[in-house]
Amino acid sequence: MTFLDVVSAVLLLAGAAQGLLGALGLVVLPSLLSRLQAATKPQTLGLLLILAGAALRVPFESAVTLLLVAVFQLITAPVIAQIVARSVYRSGAVRPEVLVVDELAQRLERSDDER
Amino acid sequence: MSDAHSGTLRSATRLLSVAWLAVVWVLLWGSFTLLTIVGGVLVGFVVTALFRAGPVAHRLPFRPVALLALLWHLACDLVVSSFDVSRQTLRYGWRARGAILEVPLLSTSDRVVALIASAYTLSPGTLVLQIDLQRSLWYIYILGPRDSADIEAARTAAMEIQRSVLAAVGAPEEIAQARRMMMGRP
Repeated sequence: MTFLDVVSAVLLLAGAAQGLLGALGLVVLPSLLSRLQAATKPQTLGLLLILAGAALRVPFESAVTLLLVAVFQLITAPVIAQIVARSVYRSGAVRPEVLVVDELAQRLERSDDER
Repeated sequence: MSDAHSGTLRSATRLLSVAWLAVVWVLLWGSFTLLTIVGGVLVGFVVTALFRAGPVAHRLPFRPVALLALLWHLACDLVVSSFDVSRQTLRYGWRARGAILEVPLLSTSDRVVALIASAYTLSPGTLVLQIDLQRSLWYIYILGPRDSADIEAARTAAMEIQRSVLAAVGAPEEIAQARRMMMGRP
């Protein structure tokens, strides 16, 4: 076992642990917005770690393609999260009791009064 | 802005798109040969000819050092807050709380706002719910605040992200205005 193997194994395991924690969050967190965090975010870091770990084990040319996977994950994940969150909020699926404060609801109330 | 100037700006933007598409093409093939590089450039020209980008009003300033600082900030943020989301999951689980906050938006440029929103949403535990360009406000969701001190910290963090994005690509007037607003806040 070489030094590279050790580094790669550590990266792969750390990535897998992040993925597991994300999946756990998906089950135990209370609202769709917080689950969305668990579903999209630790996975991003987990995927990056796994890609880095895998890149050390494959030939250089395949490793470069893995870079492309990482870039597209980083570009697309925020967009998807934003769209889902927005539609969730608009459809009223967020229970107010899981929020400490909701300034968007206060603002929407104010603009209702103005009308 | 003269027509000739916006013309060169547009072709410069198109060349950048072609270069980016060529890089993606070469990476997809996973081999650096003359064939994939020339093929990538050809594909780039065909794609940019078929899908014309909208008109670009002005060039975003390019500040490499600030851009690197922003990327570094985002990378650190991704790691630190990934652990924070995991901690929320393990420690509070079903009892985890969130908050939706109203934060002043420091830019009026579409592209800068899009960058701010993506940068902010990329870091775990936070996302952008709604952007109100007319009133220069954005609404963010954050996972984990328990009291008002946490909420103020989250507000400061949101302003901090905006400030780094502005420092990298924002217009000078907007940076100056951001600085004035930051001073106004405790």
